[in-house]
Amino acid sequence: MRWTLLLFLIASLPAQAASVAPRVPVVSSSLPNGLRVVISEDHSAPVATVAVYYGVGFRVEPKGRTGFAHLFEHMMFQGSANVKKFEHAKYVEANGGNLNGSTRLDHTNYFEDVPADRVELALWLESDRMRSLDVSEENLENQKKVVSEEVRVNVLNQPYAAFEWLDLWMNANRSWPNAHNFYGDLTELEAATIGDVRDFFKKYYAPNNAVLVVVGDVDPAEVSSWVQKYFADIPKAATPPRPDVSEPRQTAEKRLAEKDALASLPALAIGWHLPAQTAPDYAATVLLNTILQGDDSSRLYQRLVKEKEISLDWTAGVNLGLGNEFDYDGPMLLTARTTYKPGHTADEILREVDGVVADIQARGVTPRELADAKVRFRSAYYDQLESGFGKANLLAAFTLFRGDPKLINTVLATFESVSAAQVQAAAKTYLVASNRTVIDRVPDPKAKDAAKGGR
Amino acid sequence: MRAPLSVLRVAVVVATLLVAAAASQAEVKTPPSPGKARPVKLPAITERTLPSGLLVVMAPLRNVPKVTAVLSLGVGNGTEADTHAGLATLAARVATEGTATRTSKAIKEELRAIGGYLSVAADSDATTVQAGSLSEFTPRLLALVADVVAHPSYPDKEVALAKDNLVQEVREQRSQPGFLGNERFLKAVFGSHPYAFVAPDEKQVAAIARADLARFASRYYAPGNAHLVLVGDFDVATLAKEVDKAFATWKAGEKFEPAMPAPPQRDKRQIYFVDRPGSVQSSIRMGNVTFPRKDDDYFVMRTANVIYGGSFYSRLTRNIREGKGYTYSPSSSLDTRAHSGYFAASASVRNEVTGATILEMLYELDRMRVLPVTDEELQAAKSYSIGNFAIELASQSGLAGRLNTIYVYGLPRTFLEDFRARIEAITPAQIEAAAARHLDTYREAIAIVGDWSQVKDQVTPFGSVTVYTPEGEVKGTFD
Repeated sequence: MRWTLLLFLIASLPAQAASVAPRVPVVSSSLPNGLRVVISEDHSAPVATVAVYYGVGFRVEPKGRTGFAHLFEHMMFQGSANVKKFEHAKYVEANGGNLNGSTRLDHTNYFEDVPADRVELALWLESDRMRSLDVSEENLENQKKVVSEEVRVNVLNQPYAAFEWLDLWMNANRSWPNAHNFYGDLTELEAATIGDVRDFFKKYYAPNNAVLVVVGDVDPAEVSSWVQKYFADIPKAATPPRPDVSEPRQTAEKRLAEKDALASLPALAIGWHLPAQTAPDYAATVLLNTILQGDDSSRLYQRLVKEKEISLDWTAGVNLGLGNEFDYDGPMLLTARTTYKPGHTADEILREVDGVVADIQARGVTPRELADAKVRFRSAYYDQLESGFGKANLLAAFTLFRGDPKLINTVLATFESVSAAQVQAAAKTYLVASNRTVIDRVPDPKAKDAAKGGR
Repeated sequence: MRAPLSVLRVAVVVATLLVAAAASQAEVKTPPSPGKARPVKLPAITERTLPSGLLVVMAPLRNVPKVTAVLSLGVGNGTEADTHAGLATLAARVATEGTATRTSKAIKEELRAIGGYLSVAADSDATTVQAGSLSEFTPRLLALVADVVAHPSYPDKEVALAKDNLVQEVREQRSQPGFLGNERFLKAVFGSHPYAFVAPDEKQVAAIARADLARFASRYYAPGNAHLVLVGDFDVATLAKEVDKAFATWKAGEKFEPAMPAPPQRDKRQIYFVDRPGSVQSSIRMGNVTFPRKDDDYFVMRTANVIYGGSFYSRLTRNIREGKGYTYSPSSSLDTRAHSGYFAASASVRNEVTGATILEMLYELDRMRVLPVTDEELQAAKSYSIGNFAIELASQSGLAGRLNTIYVYGLPRTFLEDFRARIEAITPAQIEAAAARHLDTYREAIAIVGDWSQVKDQVTPFGSVTVYTPEGEVKGTFD
């Protein structure tokens, strides 16, 4: 029945005419105190998302205080002038919503999904902690313990200890902002003081270092009046200095071996340095990644999982485990991670990677691969637009890092226009051994240091 | 690397909506009251049964140009105990690795071309195809979904690779405390009942042949034993025609009605400890058998769970996280399936506070069944459930998942519209009575994964303990 296959092959060769792309309404403005505000209506369901993004993340946390940006995120739930410790959660949930916060490379976000008639409440809650965070010694001590348990449950008590982002970033980079332990050494978390908390809040949590996003079943004029009511009197602060987070160019391959007391199978992680998001070859590199290792049809998955039967899985991405192609602002890695079968070696895997990459460098990608990669990318982008949080995240990232929330409607065009030649050029420039760091992590029951997180 | 500041300034200057002239206002000390409540608009749902017996459920949701498909087959890894453990799991996995007309690679390439995904997995009651794509390619997505359930070919090479990889994956999972805790807990709660199954061992996988998989699929992957839920950006009349075409060659077959034994009833509290040397935390899970999804206690216990540990502002979180700092993510869940279910509370805590945490988890369970919840707590839990239900239904996967449960568990077709009233009717007395039935700490199964040498003295005061290896062998017992 080979003709059936052929039929599909031919049918999908021409570039697919895209359906009408969803157009995200964007109303953006800014208060005199510097707070940037983005509102996007969507009346498909009676729900809304309120999100505040502060322009501070792992990269700028103080030396000697690894993990502090994240510890501070927990402080934002410990009370403010009119909302007692943890009552933020009480208010949101008792009003039918859900909430969370997360710390990333260049931002820390706080967000609530709520029924649409509770948006004003969420704005009041966010304004209260932006204006008047009030953390006691006792509550700081409590959250140091909670965060230490978070590090244990997600890192120290897990096989592989999240090496594909923690260890890979620490080793692939040389500049401290990019090369320290983002989750935090337990001793440095323990050393944090209430003075550190107050300083960090003053320096980074002012309205002029934040973006407020409201998406969903809302009236922008009404939301604007609430924003005015609750946020306008919060004083601005001096613009926080942006330390140099740039990374010197890597010139030689780095190979590391790690031992893992808890793992039962070996695993390998590879990180390649990427061009800047605003560089002309960024989109081509992202699509190259889709073709190379973006899904089960990709070249590396097919080679290593299906043909050679060395790997059990193959996952890869930009900002892997932390975000997407747009929600960061600084040096970035393209990361691949695989769990592989005992009896095989890192060298075998790298030989296959080199072979697959060399083929693209020499012969390029096929028109079908490129057309499909664009479809794949567009489809994943629409998935982000579907969720309130996903849409708010893109709007906030484009505002914080690129100065223009309307990029949410135009950024796809950059990816649609990538040519096969650009993809091939990206493979030659970035997918080279001298631009990568490789960590091979192998089981070793005697490696107790790994279990204790010793580094 | 940063966007030039000038770009940012431009955006600020052109801002029009909020003007600088607006008067600054004083801090507001009390929360604003809710606005006018907006009714949840339930989607128009169209049901249709094809001549083959396939029930098709279509619900348009045009939030993005995508489509979501859930096809559920009435056979799971808890219903196939009469043959081989792992058979449903493997049959599901290899279904996407080749059909009569497509190779594994052709399936993956077609998915890439339509911006799609497609996975088949077995849980205890059902084998479920989860799929989706850009809505412009809906007919091609439907063709793929139909192909993997109607014509899976189980190529020898793919079967061999899937078997080998499944064994290795389970080996890898045995290094994770989450997997070990879940496996030991379900074995403790369900005993010899099929719901105890989590993953097959090496021998069980080895015993499965290609012919077993093909036979399994040809018997159970049948339109009369299936329903298909479609949610997304489509026109129902057009979609119906596309479904007819895609599923036209699926040969009729009957509904499977498994005979399931009753789950065991526990008569005492017992601790099941999986010794994982080197652990820096104890991963604790405790609970008991409850009831099937259709049981009358469902809505009441669902609400009790929100109050106990199923929400962020729950009693468990306030106590052992925000109060005592023992843990990061305490939680509880009510898992109800077709024939039975369970309640479980869990927390991962540093070794030193293992005993203290067990004490608090038991205390909070006892409090649920001995004292009534407050009106304020109950009202908050109701609002939480109702509000988050609306949030769930706002996404294609959320709505498709909810609709799927109606057909998997045979719930009333009015489940979506009845939800709010069922939750609002619950009283504190009902919560207390249901907690007394289902949260009995004196018959609790407590599964712990940790370093026995570090924490045994903290564990033994709570009951008799059986210690296991990660592979499930008994290392010793302590009464």
